[in-house]
Amino acid sequence: MLFSSISFLYYFLPAVLVLYFLSPWKMKNNVLLLASLFFYFYGEPMYSVLMVVSIISGYLHGLWIDRARGSRYAKIPVISSVITSIGLLMYFKYTDFFITNINWIFKSDIPPANILLPIGISFYTFQILSYTIDVYRGEARVQKNILKFAAYVSLFPQLIAGPIVRYTTVEEELDYRTHSVSDAAYGINRFVIGLTKKVLIANTLGELVEIFNNTGEKTVLLYWVMAAAYMLQVYFDFSAYSDMAIGLGRIFGFHFLENFNYPFISKTVSEFWRRWHMSLGTWFRDYVYVPMGGNRVTTLKWIRNIIVVWFLTGFWHGAQWNFIIWGLYFAVFLVLEKLFIKKLLDRLPAFMSHIYTLLIITVSFVIFKGEGMGEAIETLKGMFGLLDVPLTNMITNYYIKSYSVVLTIGAIGATPLVSGLVKKAAANKLCERMISLLEPVMHTVLLLLVTGYLVDGSFNPFLYFRF
Amino acid sequence: MGKNLKNIAVIICFVSVLAGMTAANIIKADADLSYSERRKLAVLPQYSFQKLISGDLFEEFEKYSLDQFVLRDGFRSLKAVGTYYLFRKADNNDIYVVDGHISKILYPMNEKSVANMAKKLNDIYERYLKGMNVYYSVIPDKNYFLAAEYGYPQIDYGRMIGILGRQITDMDYIDLFDSLSIDDYYKTDIHWSQDRIIDAANKLLDRMGTGVRISKSQFSEKELYPFYGSYAGQYALGAAPDKLVYLTNEMLEKAVVYDHEKRTQTSVYVPDRFTGMDPYDVFLSGAKALLEITNPENPDGRELILFRDSFGSSIAPLLLAGYSKITLVDLRYISSEILGKYIDFSENQDVLFLYNTMIINNSYMLK
Repeated sequence: MLFSSISFLYYFLPAVLVLYFLSPWKMKNNVLLLASLFFYFYGEPMYSVLMVVSIISGYLHGLWIDRARGSRYAKIPVISSVITSIGLLMYFKYTDFFITNINWIFKSDIPPANILLPIGISFYTFQILSYTIDVYRGEARVQKNILKFAAYVSLFPQLIAGPIVRYTTVEEELDYRTHSVSDAAYGINRFVIGLTKKVLIANTLGELVEIFNNTGEKTVLLYWVMAAAYMLQVYFDFSAYSDMAIGLGRIFGFHFLENFNYPFISKTVSEFWRRWHMSLGTWFRDYVYVPMGGNRVTTLKWIRNIIVVWFLTGFWHGAQWNFIIWGLYFAVFLVLEKLFIKKLLDRLPAFMSHIYTLLIITVSFVIFKGEGMGEAIETLKGMFGLLDVPLTNMITNYYIKSYSVVLTIGAIGATPLVSGLVKKAAANKLCERMISLLEPVMHTVLLLLVTGYLVDGSFNPFLYFRF
Repeated sequence: MGKNLKNIAVIICFVSVLAGMTAANIIKADADLSYSERRKLAVLPQYSFQKLISGDLFEEFEKYSLDQFVLRDGFRSLKAVGTYYLFRKADNNDIYVVDGHISKILYPMNEKSVANMAKKLNDIYERYLKGMNVYYSVIPDKNYFLAAEYGYPQIDYGRMIGILGRQITDMDYIDLFDSLSIDDYYKTDIHWSQDRIIDAANKLLDRMGTGVRISKSQFSEKELYPFYGSYAGQYALGAAPDKLVYLTNEMLEKAVVYDHEKRTQTSVYVPDRFTGMDPYDVFLSGAKALLEITNPENPDGRELILFRDSFGSSIAPLLLAGYSKITLVDLRYISSEILGKYIDFSENQDVLFLYNTMIINNSYMLK
């Protein structure tokens, strides 16, 4: 079930809100658990069993790790947990990738397994791992109540598109959390903003990307517009899901960490990754990069660590080489920045650093978008004038004109400009009153407008089917 | 407004929209049809364990929740407002309005589909039509007249006709592009208006060698109003209606239309259908797989086999003056494989393939 669907907004969510707030405190986690299981079952009936198996595995491993603590064999349960979780992920997500590559290398003819990827497996696998590893490290207490643990893993706000919520983030709130008018209003605000970003901005930009995919009359300008539109689409889609997850979580009393912080205003690639999909970045930092030695090792080993982490980051995003190359592409720039060009970037005027970063990120999303490297290379050639296509044509001009407002809104909305202005305005008492008056009205208008877009059956892709 | 009061207002507004819509959806009786979208609406899915496990039950529910949403047309209008006026997009779901005409973007050209169309025609020729007088013609969609002039994407019509010309063998092409103008089409509909296609009909009659020429004076005009074409519903923002005009005379009133599928006889024009889901069904009762129109005044003349889409419904009555019988074949609803069971192909027949450019660009729908 998608947040941006009529079934979620006008059937599932109202029912869950009523049940949740009417149920006594003791039952609230169970209500969330049942709702979350139904939420997942709605989209993945058969794979619900897999998620339940993963939950039971994570729960039992947590108990085992706790019981083995201090013994000679303390590492065995955590290793078992990692092997089990990663094993399931490997099987369901990467089997065909490996078969394809084995066939390519050894000229063999192993038939593909054609395993459908369970939605959200990469997210809930990493959540379970964060729990078992943190219990092993003593950073989290073991959860002895399987229903609470299951509620944590399957919590529907972040189940299928993140953010990756660490167990330690919600550990206390699983046992005790408060609900308040201000939290609910904040949650509603984030949810409606996220829904609007997804349905009105990301989906509209997605239409433009789809038009690019289908047109035979490509131009240099259209290649660039598509690259920008796709980059903004992914940002608005992904950050919208995080907004909605954070908002829904807050309504139910959970405080999830932020996942995006205006990444496109970054002046370096390393800054970009501190602002983009932060829950994934910090996951790899804490569970892969730091245990390998992080940056407190020799330069060569540090480069190795960077390569490993970014190989895995790319691979996490999808079972295709272009994702791996996408990850390694970032590794190259992170190493270059740290070893050679950081000082130069610091001396450059800010706008040049922004241009440098945006250019690298734009190219990265072309790699990310491609169904294989062939398509990505073709697009890059088109962008840099290496294909026999005109600079622009009537079709390109039409679509640029037609999508100019949404592109502009997207470009401005990807910066803190609007939120900064609102904050500044709120410092003035009169403006604050106006904003207070307008906020509920705006929410209502946006919710109705979004409903119109959904009812019309507009383009509504789910980008995370590969994650 | 204090912060707490604002927060309460936010919650009340949000809950009101959610609860209000949910309650309205539960209370509202389901509709069978959408007149504005000209289609049947999804119904509440029937439960079965198999459907539950396969996910089909929820997929069907998704369609149901969209189709049966309370004030569906109003929300579609709201979306159109957002698209045209908030985002200033030049089209909404490819629908655009210029010079009072509503049209739908036809872009890009699907060259494979055009080639498939040519292959389809060649296959039918090889199977049934060898030695017969076979013609094909293409009806331009409204974009041919509007799109380029107003800056909307347009396919290369010359290229489309060129592909057909190179790949279709043993048939003569009759060019209708220069016999038509945008004024010959309804403002709110995809189709041409029968009272404005006399020139096109004469061109076909002439090129097929019937020796017959028709004029408007041979017919009396019947008007049906208001006619909201299919684009009016898709536009979703309200449009001034057209007038649906049909041309009739004694011959057409006596002519008998036989529906092979239903094995029933009816008349050329069925004004009762004007109030149905698609008012254009006035012509030959709408989409039918296989029809025969018999000319009572010319029982022994040549016959015409017209492979057609919905545009054919309104031009066929005008062509009847040149033939004793017209057999209309709509390959969207009948497979070309089984035509021999229903039609006796003979050399006393002319054959015309008459399709509009939108069908040619989506020819895989032809069976």
